[in-house]
Amino acid sequence: MAEDRSITVPAMRLPAEGTLRMIATFVAAFGIGVATYITIADSGGGAPVCLAGGSGCQTVASSTYSHLFGINIAVFGIVGYVLLLAAALLRGDAARMVGFGVSLVGFGYSVYLTYLELFKIEAICQWCVASAALMTILFCLNALRMIGYVGKPA
Amino acid sequence: MSGRSSREAREARLQAESEGAQQERRKRLLQIGSAAVFLAIAGVAILIVVSSNETSGGDANLEDVGLVRHQLSGIPQKGLVLGDPKAKVTLYEFGDLQCPVCKAFSEQIIPDVIDSKVRSGEAKLDFRNYTIISQESIPAGAAAIAAGEQGRGWNFIELFYRNQGPEASGYVSDEFLTEIARGAGVKDIAAWNRARKSAALLAEVKATTAEAQRLDFTGTPSFAVEGPGTSGKETLGTPGEASLLEEAIGEAG
Repeated sequence: MAEDRSITVPAMRLPAEGTLRMIATFVAAFGIGVATYITIADSGGGAPVCLAGGSGCQTVASSTYSHLFGINIAVFGIVGYVLLLAAALLRGDAARMVGFGVSLVGFGYSVYLTYLELFKIEAICQWCVASAALMTILFCLNALRMIGYVGKPA
Repeated sequence: MSGRSSREAREARLQAESEGAQQERRKRLLQIGSAAVFLAIAGVAILIVVSSNETSGGDANLEDVGLVRHQLSGIPQKGLVLGDPKAKVTLYEFGDLQCPVCKAFSEQIIPDVIDSKVRSGEAKLDFRNYTIISQESIPAGAAAIAAGEQGRGWNFIELFYRNQGPEASGYVSDEFLTEIARGAGVKDIAAWNRARKSAALLAEVKATTAEAQRLDFTGTPSFAVEGPGTSGKETLGTPGEASLLEEAIGEAG
């Protein structure tokens, strides 16, 4: 019997690539909504409104960490989610790799921002947590897509 | 017959080669992906290490220098008055820089009022010293007024609260006040030093404390509002929510 040289994930059945892409499309669209809301709320000189009250969003939005090179980080979030939406809509290895790469950067930066919220700013903004959760989901979806399907026909 | 089998063999070989190439490509792309994961982990680790060591905007010993700067950016200041000098309504805050409740107000309630009423020009916020904690509150208050002479009064007040020590524990030293002044962005420290020790500013702290007593305030922070809708300063006591102060400003306007 010929040796099977293919790279497979043992004892795990991956969801179909189409399913992963469909979920990623919805999550990325939702992410665009969240990041856009934070951007609009901040551009008016205010801050996103915390759903359960409290001033966490205010504190986070007014911290120096909320801007990178003078630009609100939510703007970078919009760009990231748009790229992830495009990657989810497109087929092929380029889309798989871009989706994985962008979600990896987004996930890594979300980890850093959550660290800042907890230990530096000492306040939690639900909108930022929501975005971090969406980015985590997108990272998992894109990682599964890449591990399971990269190098295979679209 | 033999032609057909050789074609089949060729097709099988080509397919095997194409599958092999596909496997190679897949392996390479997965390696790139793994490398990216390692780079990302390293990147986040470096960001966190750098950020945990970084000074928060200029002074290693002070908390929230950048946060206070951002919170007050773009709002005019004159003396200890924050906001448009032409604003119809004035909200007076009688506070003691050593008072922990004032610190809580400064962190949890005042930012909302600043964003909803002061930034828009509807009201201005006038801080007045009402020293009740200990004698050290007097030089602290004079230092805030002196910072106000250089347009940094509110930065000083807010930064003081963010870095407040335990009540009357002796932390309000010249070094501490100078550190706050530097963090607040006071440019001419020599002029600030002269001003804060001057009899005039120390007298001003005592005068505003006397004013608070005349208004029958019993604790800090205490608020009063004045505008077209009020007859003189209308006392508000210590409302525990930003919305109550905002309502009072609305009614005074």
